[in-house]
Amino acid sequence: MVKEQYRETDVARKISHVSFGVDSRHNMKQQAHLHVVAKNLYSQDNGHIPLSYGLLDKKMGTCSNINNCGTCEKSLNECIGHFGYVDLELPVFHVGYFRSIIGILQTICKKCSCVMLNSKDKKLFLDRVLNSNLNYLTRKALRKQILEKAKKCNTCPYCGELNGTVKKAGLLKIVHEKYKTKKATDPVIQLKLTEYHKVLEDNKELENILQGGLITILNPLEVLGILERIPEKDIPLLMMNPECSVPKDLILTRIPVPPISIRPSIVSDLKAGTNEDNLTMKLTEILFINDAIQRHRQCGMKVQMYNEDWEFLQLHCALYINSEMSGIPLNMQPKKSGRGLVQRLKGKQGRFRGNLSGKRVDFSSRTVISPDPNLRIDQVGVPIHVAKILTYPERVNKCNIELMRRLVQNGPDIHPGANFVVQGKTQFRKFLRYGNRQKIAQDLQYGDKVERHLCDDDVVLFNRQPSLHKLSIMAHKAKVLENRTFRFNECVCTPYNADFDGDEMNLHLPQTEEARAEALVLMGNKSNLVTPRNGELLIAATQDFITGAYLLTQKDTFLNKSQVSQLISCLLAGLDTTMSINLPEPAIFKPAIMWTGKQIFSLILKPNDECCVKANLKTKGRAYTSNEELCINDSYVIIRNSELIAGSMDKSTLGSGSKQNIFYILLRDWGEDIAAIVMWRLARLSSFFLMNRGFSIGIGDVTPGHSLLKAKQELVNNGYGKCTEYIKKMENGQLSCQPGCTEEESLEAMILKELSVIRDHAGKVCLKELHPSNSPLVMALSGSKGSFINISQMIACVGQQAISGHRVPNGFEDRALPHFEKYSKTPAAKGFVENSFYSGLTPTEFFFHTMGGREGLVDTAVKTAETGYMQRRLVKSLEDLCLHYDMTVRNSVGDIVQVLYGGDAMDPTYMEGKDCPVDYKRLLDDIKSRSFYSNEDPLDGPSIIKATSELLMSEEYSCLSEEFKQELGQFLKSIAIKIARVRQHIKTNATVNKYIERLTVSQLVEFIHTCKEKYMKAKIEPGTAVGALAAQSIGEPGTQMTLKTFHFAGVASMNITQGVPRIKEIINANPRISTPIITAALEVDTDPEFARRVKSRIEKTTLGEITEYIEEIYLPDDCFLLLKIDIDRIKLLKLEVDVNSIRYSLCTSKLKLHPKTVVIQGDSIITIYPNKQKHNLSHILTQLKDSIPNVIVKGIASVSRAVIHNDDSSGKTRYKLFVEGDNMRDVMATIGIKGLKTTSNNTIEVFRTLGIEAARATIMTEIKLVMENHGMSIDRRHPMLVADLMTSRGEVLGITRQGLAKMKESVLNLASFEKTADHLFDAAYYGQKDAISGVSESIIMGIPVPVGTGIFKLLHKADKDALKPRTLLFDSFSQNSKVNV
Amino acid sequence: MAGVLFEDIFNVKDIDPEGKKFDRVIRLHCESESFKMDLILDINSWLYPLELGDKFRLVLATTLREDGYPDGGDWNAAEMEGGSRANSFEYVMSGKVYRIEGDEANNEPSSRLSAYVSFGGLLMRLQGDANNLHGFEIDQHMYLLMKKLAF
Repeated sequence: MVKEQYRETDVARKISHVSFGVDSRHNMKQQAHLHVVAKNLYSQDNGHIPLSYGLLDKKMGTCSNINNCGTCEKSLNECIGHFGYVDLELPVFHVGYFRSIIGILQTICKKCSCVMLNSKDKKLFLDRVLNSNLNYLTRKALRKQILEKAKKCNTCPYCGELNGTVKKAGLLKIVHEKYKTKKATDPVIQLKLTEYHKVLEDNKELENILQGGLITILNPLEVLGILERIPEKDIPLLMMNPECSVPKDLILTRIPVPPISIRPSIVSDLKAGTNEDNLTMKLTEILFINDAIQRHRQCGMKVQMYNEDWEFLQLHCALYINSEMSGIPLNMQPKKSGRGLVQRLKGKQGRFRGNLSGKRVDFSSRTVISPDPNLRIDQVGVPIHVAKILTYPERVNKCNIELMRRLVQNGPDIHPGANFVVQGKTQFRKFLRYGNRQKIAQDLQYGDKVERHLCDDDVVLFNRQPSLHKLSIMAHKAKVLENRTFRFNECVCTPYNADFDGDEMNLHLPQTEEARAEALVLMGNKSNLVTPRNGELLIAATQDFITGAYLLTQKDTFLNKSQVSQLISCLLAGLDTTMSINLPEPAIFKPAIMWTGKQIFSLILKPNDECCVKANLKTKGRAYTSNEELCINDSYVIIRNSELIAGSMDKSTLGSGSKQNIFYILLRDWGEDIAAIVMWRLARLSSFFLMNRGFSIGIGDVTPGHSLLKAKQELVNNGYGKCTEYIKKMENGQLSCQPGCTEEESLEAMILKELSVIRDHAGKVCLKELHPSNSPLVMALSGSKGSFINISQMIACVGQQAISGHRVPNGFEDRALPHFEKYSKTPAAKGFVENSFYSGLTPTEFFFHTMGGREGLVDTAVKTAETGYMQRRLVKSLEDLCLHYDMTVRNSVGDIVQVLYGGDAMDPTYMEGKDCPVDYKRLLDDIKSRSFYSNEDPLDGPSIIKATSELLMSEEYSCLSEEFKQELGQFLKSIAIKIARVRQHIKTNATVNKYIERLTVSQLVEFIHTCKEKYMKAKIEPGTAVGALAAQSIGEPGTQMTLKTFHFAGVASMNITQGVPRIKEIINANPRISTPIITAALEVDTDPEFARRVKSRIEKTTLGEITEYIEEIYLPDDCFLLLKIDIDRIKLLKLEVDVNSIRYSLCTSKLKLHPKTVVIQGDSIITIYPNKQKHNLSHILTQLKDSIPNVIVKGIASVSRAVIHNDDSSGKTRYKLFVEGDNMRDVMATIGIKGLKTTSNNTIEVFRTLGIEAARATIMTEIKLVMENHGMSIDRRHPMLVADLMTSRGEVLGITRQGLAKMKESVLNLASFEKTADHLFDAAYYGQKDAISGVSESIIMGIPVPVGTGIFKLLHKADKDALKPRTLLFDSFSQNSKVNV
Repeated sequence: MAGVLFEDIFNVKDIDPEGKKFDRVIRLHCESESFKMDLILDINSWLYPLELGDKFRLVLATTLREDGYPDGGDWNAAEMEGGSRANSFEYVMSGKVYRIEGDEANNEPSSRLSAYVSFGGLLMRLQGDANNLHGFEIDQHMYLLMKKLAF
C-alpha cells in the first residue's frame, strides 16, 4: 500500500472543526446496534459462543479472523465495529461531569431550576453570553463569573425558595445544606424541625441527629429531576451549548457499549477460555448490578439494600470511566484496578500522546551506528540488509524503464532489486519473490509502480533520540554498504549528540517525490550545518580530525616528496577520484626539498587551479599570545585566498561552536557544497595523516618528571600552608569576614578558593613541563578532547572534591571520615586529593573521589528528566507560533505575538556578526584579498565616504533597512578615517606604498553589494516555525547544563540559582523564586560611605541589634521595661534612627503597644509599660521582653540582606547594591537609590512593580544571563519570543499547564498536553467547537500543519455567479401591503 | 641581477627570544649590515642550523632562473635542473608576500615599512626603509636564498 502523494484539492471533504458535546440518551440508542441485556458473556452450555445480546455479541464487531462481523458481515480488517448500549436501572452521576453538575446546582434554584440571578443581571449576562464570537477562554471566564454571582444568592429571585450551599460530600455524593445561612433560632429552621416532632415523640434517641435532618443529600434521581426542569432560556447562562449538550445528559442513564474491536478478548493457547478486556469486565459488573437492582426491585427489597446497590452501580459506572479515582471506601475498593476509559486516553502511552500525536510508521529501520570518515558529510551508510527491506515506489517511465526491468529481474533478494510491482491501472500488487520475474519485467508498462530497494543517493531521514532540536532529524543520502550498522562521518555526531558506544539510530525512507525534495532542501544536513540557536556551525570537524589537522599544520611539520604524494593521494576518492591536484612549490628547496604541513592543508581548500574557492580568515587561535602572526605559539591563523599563511589549526578554527571557523567562512562565502566537501577532505586527510604518523597514549605520557613533581609538591605545600594559616587565623579570631558571611563561611570560601586553584596551577605547570609531542597535551592544546584539568588530574593532582559547591560535608560526627580528627579543617580531611591518577589515590582520597563522582551521576539523572519535561512544555506552548507573510509572528488562531520578528525580521541562522547579518571587517578583508583589481589605484579617505553615501542612496539598495545602512556607513567611515590617518604618515612615493591599506573603487562596490546580498539572504522567510525554533534553542542547551549553582560575579557568598533550576523558575513564571535579588543603582555611585548609608536604610535592623540592654524594672507601685539604646553602635552602623523613630516603630509593630505606654526618657532610653490587664503582669513583661528585640526599626522587612558591590571594570570604582529579597517597590523608593536603574531578577515582582513590558525585558535578560553563565550563546531573538509569548496576554503566564490553558484555545492541543480527561470533559460541557488550526490538532487529524511550507495557500478566484441583492424585510412588507391594497 | 628584489648581509642578533617552542624551527632576529633592515625569519634548524652571531647573505628574488625570466608558475621537479640561482646558495625557500604595512606604532611620519612573507608557514618580516622594499607586491611569489658567510 503506497501512500499517494498528498494533494489537498483531491480531498472531497475537509475537517473544518471538531465539536465536543455530551451525548444524549436518545443519541446513544441511535448510534447503537443493539441493546445489551445479558449479563453473561458466553452461553453456558456449548463452549465459547458469545451470547446474543451479551457484551460480546457478534453484532458489535469481531476480534478474530474466524468470524465475521454480525452487522456488516465484514472481516476483522475491514469492520470498524458497532456500538451497543446498556440501560441503567437507576441514574448515576458521570464522574467526568461531577464537578460541572455541582457547579450547575450551585447556580440554579433547587426548586424551580432557574438560574439564581436577578432579572437585571440575567439580562446583562445573557447579552454577553449569546454573543456567538466568544472564544473558549472568555466563555470559561464568564461561567466562573456567573457561578460566583449565583452562589451568593440565598433565595431564589423567582420562586423565593431558600437555597443553601451545594457541595461534594464523600465519593460522588452531593449535599445541599439548605439552611446553612440561617441561624439555628431562625423560624424557618424551627418550622423545618417541627416536622420531626412526631418522630421524636416516638423515639427520643433521634434527638441527637436531628440537626442532620437539615442537610439533604441530593441523589442522582433528584438531580436529574432538577436538571431536566432547567428552563431552556437559562441553559446558555450555564455556558452550555444546547446544540451539543443539555444539562440533563450530564447524568448517566444509559451507557454506550464500545465495539468489540476496541476491547478484544484474547484467546490464549495455554489454558481454556479467554482473557477479557478491562472494559468488558467492568461492563459485566455493571450489568450484573443492574440485574441485581432489577431483581431487588421486583421482590421489594429493603431500602438500605436498594441504596447499597445504587451506590455500587454508581461506583462501577464511575470506575468504568475513570479507574483511578481516589477516596473509594475500603470495603468497596475493587480488587484489581483495570484501565478505565480515561486511562486509555491519558499519559504518554495513552491514545492522545501514544497513538494520535505520534504514530508507528512503515519504511523505517533502526540499528547500531558506527563511524566512517570515508563517507561524505551528507551520506549515511545503510546496511544492505536494510536496503533490501526499505522500498521506494518508483513510477515507471520512458527514462527508467530499462533500469526498472533490471531491478524487477533481480527480485527481492539481490540488492539493487525490487520487492513489489503495482500495476498502474488495476492497482494490483505483485510480490516478486514468487512468480516469473522475467515475464513481469517484460510486461512492465509506463505508469506502473516498482517498489524498488533503497539505492545509493536515495534521500533518507536519519534521526537519533532524544530529538531535542530540529537537527536531530536530518536528511542524508544513502550509501548502501556491507555489514550491519548505519555509518556516517564523525563530523555529524554533534547535531545528533551521538557517540559510538552502542548508540542506535533510526532511518526513514520518504515515499513520494515531494517528500524527497522537501527533505533534501529543508532537512538535508548540508543545509543544516548551522544551528538556528545562534548561527554557529554544528557540523564541523571533531576529535581526531582536529588533532590531525593541528599536528599537520604545526610549524615544524615538514614532509618530503614521497610523504606528500602519499598523503595527498588520499584526497582522490569518491567523487574526486579523477581530480587533478596542483602541488605547490615546496617551501624549502635547499638543502632538501620539503613541503610544510600548512601547504598540504591549503590543498584541501583549493586542490587545483580550476577550483575557484578563495577563502579568507584571520583569527586568534586557542593558544594565542601576542604580535598577531608572529605569536610564539603560532596560533594566529591567517588564511589568504585559500592558502594557510600562518598559524596552526585547532578547535577554534575547525571545530563547532565558533564563527571564526574555516568551514563557516566556506559555508557563508562559497556555499554549503564547498563547505561539506572540504570537511570531507579534512576528515580523510587528517585521519590518513594521523594513521601514518601514529598517535597513541601510553603510561609514559602520564608519568611526571622530577621537575613537575617538585613543582607540584611546592604548589600543594603552598596551598596547605595558606590553609593552615587561615585556620589559625580563625582560631585566633583574626579572620576578616566576607560581606554577609559568618567566620566559618568565609573560612570555607577562602580555603575552597585556595585549593581549587592548586589543580589549575598544576595544569599550567604540566603545560610547561611536558614535551609538545605528549599525546594528552596535544589533544588539550588542539582542543580535540580533554582539558588541562584532565591532564593535571592524570599526572599531577586530582584536586579538591566538591559536593554541591562546598568541600565534603561531615558524614560522621563533626568530621567527614573517621580517619581524621574531629573538627579538622585541613585540606586532606575535607576531600582534597593530593595524588594523581598515576600515583594512585589513598583510601580516604578514593572515598572522597567517589563522593564527587556520585554527585555527578545523580545530577545527570535528575537533569535529564527535568529538562525533558521543560522542553516538552516549551515546545507545546510555542509550537504554533510561526512567521506570517506580513512578518508578524502569530499563533494558530491568528493572535499577534510579535509585530516584527525579533524587531528586525532577521533569521538567527544567518547572523555572521554579533546580531548582525554581516561581519563587516571580515568581509572587507575577504574582498580586499579575494578581488585584487591589480590595475586600480587605492582610494583615499574622503572619497570612500563620498562613494559610500552615493552608493547607498541608489535604487539598488533601497531594500535595505535604515538601521543596516547606517551601520554599514558607520563602518566604512571608520575605515576611511583609518586610511586617512595611515596615508598621512607616508612620506615617500615608493610604489610599495600603494599596497598599504589598499581599497579600490571596485572593491568598495563589491563590498557594499555583498553586504546587501547577505542582508537579503538573512531576511527570515515567511512560514518559518520561529516558535518551535525558540523552544528548541532554549530547551536543548538545558540538557547540557551542569552544576546547579554559580557564584555571583565578584560578591562572595551571594549565590544565585543558575542552570536548569533557574531556567525553570523563569519559564514557570514562579512568583517565589529561590534567590530573588534586586540590583539597585545608587544616586552617588562613587562614594562607599554613601553606599553604606543607603544599605543601612534598606537592610533590616532589629531593635535587639541596637540596644545595649533591656531590663524589667519592678518598682513597688509600677513595673515596666527599660530599653537602653546603643547610640555609639547606631553611629557606627550609620543608621538613621533615633529614639523617636524607634518609638514609632514600636508602636506600629505587631506588638500592639499603645502609644501612651511607650515613653521616651532621654535620648537613649525608652520605657514601655505593660497593658494593665487582668493577666499576670510579670508574664506579660517577660513576653514583651522576648519579642521586643525582634521589632524592626529600620529597613524593609522582606529584605534579608544587602551587599555593596564594587565594580572596578571601568577604571574607577563604582558601587551598587545587591539586595536579597523581594519588595522592589520599597527598595526603589528608598532615598539614595536611583529608581530608574533598579532591576530585580524576579519577573513577577517586576511585573507587579513596573508592569508588563518591564517583565518582558526581565525574562529576556534573565534567560540570556543564565545561558551566558554556562558558556552557551543563544541568539537574542529566541528568549525574546518566549518572553513575548509569556507576556502577550497582559499578565505573565508561565509555560506550565495553568499558563498553557490560558494561552491556548484548542481542546485537542490541551488534551494532548496534560490533564487529558479534564480538558475533554470541560470541552464537552461547554460544547466547544475546535477549529483544526494548530500544530497538535493537525497532527492528530492527519492534516498538513499550517506552518512552514504548509502555510502557503494558493488563492484562487472562482468564477461564481454575481451576488443577487437580497430583498429586504421591509421591501417585502411593502410589496405585501401593496398586494393587500 | 634581474629578478632580485633585495640583497644584504645579516647578522643573527637573537634566536628564539621568547623561548623555544618547536623542535625543528627556530626564529632568527637579524639586522642587516648595509641597509639597517630588521629581519625576523623562521628557518628549519634541522636542515640548516644557524647560531647566534652567524653572518649570512640573504637574497630575495622573484625567480630562481639566472636570466631573470619568471618561473613557469607551478613547481616542476625537472625545471630545477640547469642554470639555477639556487646553486650558489645553501638554503632556499619559496613563499609569498601577503602583507605590507606601515609602522603603526609611532604616530610620527616615517618611511619604515614592514613586508610579511610566508614560506609555507615559516614567516619572515622584513622591516626597513620603504625604498629598500621597492618592487615588493602583495601576493607576489618570492624566493629566499641564504648562504652563511665565513669569518
